Amino acid sequence: MNFMLHEELWQTALGEIELNISRANFITWFRDTGIIKNKDGVVTIGVPNGFSKEWLENKYNKLILRALRNTSNNIKDLRFIINPVTNQPSMEKIFKTGIKKEPPASLDQPFEELVVDKETNLNPKYKFANFIVGSFNELAQAAAKAVVGNPGELYNPLFIYGGVGLGKTHLIQAIGNEIVEKYKKKKKVKYISSEKFTSELVSALHNGKVEDFKEKYRQIDVLVIDDVQFLAGKEKTQEEFFHAFNALYQKNKQIILSSDRPPRAISTLEERLRSRFEGGMIADISQPDMETRLAILKCKLAEKKATLPDDILNHLATNIQKNIRELEGALNRVIALNNLSFTTDKDKIFKILNDIISPPKKLTHYKIIIQAVAEFYDVNTSELINRCRKKEVAYPRQIAMYLIREELKKSFPFIGEKLGGRDHTTVMYACDKMQKEIQSNETLQQEIVLIKERIYSK
Amino acid sequence: MRFVCLQENLKKDLNIAQNIIGRNLTLPILNNLLLQTEEGRLKISATNLEIGVSTWTSGKVEKDGAITCPARILASLVNNLPNKKVELEVKGSNLLIKCESFKTTIKGLPADDFPIIPKIKETPLMEVENGFFKDALNQVVGVTALSESRPEIAGVLFSFERNDLKLAATDSFRLAEKVIFSVSKKPDSKKPLIVPQRTAQELIRILGEREGKLKIILGHNQVLFDMGETQLVSRLIEGQYPDYQQIIPKSFNYQVGVERELLLNSVRVAGIFSSKVNNITLVLKKGQLEVLSNDADLGENRSQVAAEIKGGDLEVNFNYRYILDGLTNISSKKVFLGMNSESSPMVIRPAGEDDYLYIIMPIKAN
Repeated sequence: MNFMLHEELWQTALGEIELNISRANFITWFRDTGIIKNKDGVVTIGVPNGFSKEWLENKYNKLILRALRNTSNNIKDLRFIINPVTNQPSMEKIFKTGIKKEPPASLDQPFEELVVDKETNLNPKYKFANFIVGSFNELAQAAAKAVVGNPGELYNPLFIYGGVGLGKTHLIQAIGNEIVEKYKKKKKVKYISSEKFTSELVSALHNGKVEDFKEKYRQIDVLVIDDVQFLAGKEKTQEEFFHAFNALYQKNKQIILSSDRPPRAISTLEERLRSRFEGGMIADISQPDMETRLAILKCKLAEKKATLPDDILNHLATNIQKNIRELEGALNRVIALNNLSFTTDKDKIFKILNDIISPPKKLTHYKIIIQAVAEFYDVNTSELINRCRKKEVAYPRQIAMYLIREELKKSFPFIGEKLGGRDHTTVMYACDKMQKEIQSNETLQQEIVLIKERIYSK
Repeated sequence: MRFVCLQENLKKDLNIAQNIIGRNLTLPILNNLLLQTEEGRLKISATNLEIGVSTWTSGKVEKDGAITCPARILASLVNNLPNKKVELEVKGSNLLIKCESFKTTIKGLPADDFPIIPKIKETPLMEVENGFFKDALNQVVGVTALSESRPEIAGVLFSFERNDLKLAATDSFRLAEKVIFSVSKKPDSKKPLIVPQRTAQELIRILGEREGKLKIILGHNQVLFDMGETQLVSRLIEGQYPDYQQIIPKSFNYQVGVERELLLNSVRVAGIFSSKVNNITLVLKKGQLEVLSNDADLGENRSQVAAEIKGGDLEVNFNYRYILDGLTNISSKKVFLGMNSESSPMVIRPAGEDDYLYIIMPIKAN
């Protein structure tokens, strides 16, 4: 019997019971009840506490049985167990059980400092031991390990960049934790997000305590700053950061930075900062391959002490490719579902995962793409389509072809036809060229991102 | 039903039972007490659907029967009757009470509608002496968290280790732990229980009224505290209690031995001049302990407390209420304070005893 049917059956029965007893009794005794099992004519009803159990068992047994038999007459007996079930297991509630609640913030320091070390701001759950290495991140991981071995000497600053949810924060916090452990707290480590850095600076400026602020940062041995791309456009912060950076760098203190793009791609980052960021070691984290995704899932599963069949894991790993955090989210969801409904029905799980795996495709049209490209490069749409082969037109045209191919998955002949009746081989050449160039050319990557933004913001 | 007993006995039992009754508007019968004859005694029960209390009054049963009637009215009446024979009789849906010159009729509700208090028939988990257990529970119960946001710490943890029972409570800013050594208990009891704070307080109150031994019996999701003539059944809190052992410091950089009364008084005085967050500062300097506080609007206070100090200089801020709570939970003449830094927890122990532990987190210095 499946979960939804239980819910329906119980709701129908409750509808009838409600008519037979007083409102107060109904609310008191039937709150948070539900059918847990329906097997061989014996229905097991979950009740929230011992009082409800005794009462339903002794007083309402007949009433409940009669109400249930009206809908399903093969039911012969009732059993009650204390097992709180929620009335309407909405997806939201199920999902919530998978995530840990954030402890509320307070002025006093709670014992929660177990979770995040107040001194260093590091979360001890990020370790090298649970960082899974694959070809996509081995350079970054190797550089990180080298930094732990020789902080401040080998790679300074260490700059790690990569997409959302691929483990940048995990890696840089792991460095911090490892250094704390290795040097037995002799090295002062501080982890801070660039946003926090900015707000601390702002409040220091506000209270006239800039000197204290500077002094604080100059005493640190290992400074870990997350998401430095947010410094972009904040000039005063950049300046202050520049001085702090220099002060630390001069004294051979280790600086570790992370960002979602390489330094040169962060717009409005001051030149002197950018060149400093590039002066140490830059390592990127790209997307994990299939085997690594599977390894990550297995590792998380072991951490949560749960088990899931291999084909579900495979399904998750095949379908969520670009983001490890989303991968973990999907895994949490499956585990939560498993715990709640006791179902290992694969079709059902696959169905639910569909919601996460294929988010509603953003809609666009080839005309919009052509227009966006034309606007971006400041050429005419007609120029893109006509036979002109001047370089300033040909290049945007190739980008347009590449984007239509990537975003809309149109056939090569179709693209050729729409862009001035060109041969499909021309299109193939353009897509191939772009694909290759995009790997090596940072400017092009940025341009593509910006054009996509234009396309989807229309 | 017809039952005759002494006013004194009835009064005591009514007061034990009626305390857990709150105002319940959805189910008015919860404001009532159930009076029921059982094996030659009168059983008085009350419940709020989380806790159920039953207590037995001895007397003479002349006719079996049962009724429920409003707790407050019955208790107020009996409290004011002379200490003579009281006669209870059910007539229809009314309860008739006769005592010397007083004749009363209270309107009741049928006993059939009263919630059934769950019965637990397992073998007892452990047995412990009432008064001793009451004092132990009293030392930790005040520290439980009152917020509903983290239900697992809104109760007292009972955990078993070899032959010892550990009681612990925390509100995440402080923690108290009391160990009861070598209790007699079932060897296979391993699972820790989280007893809701309200239940613990009710238990303390009832233990104060009853002498003898307390049996703790565990049922499914329920616990029964059996004190012979009185039983208390409560739900347990589901969930995983935080692993608090790891925050207890194993060693200390700073150790202070001080007379409890002296420190208590200094902290109390300093508390008068604490600011809105109740913060006072403990200062260890040149082998002296100083307690100071100041508030921009009120003024400031400082006092020296004679103490034996090991370790260097240190300055830590605390919520003075938390220190007071800790010190008042301890009865020894001297206490030991252990600290490691201005941002790590402070331990308070009775000097020379290792069955009690109180830990406070400092207030963050700005």
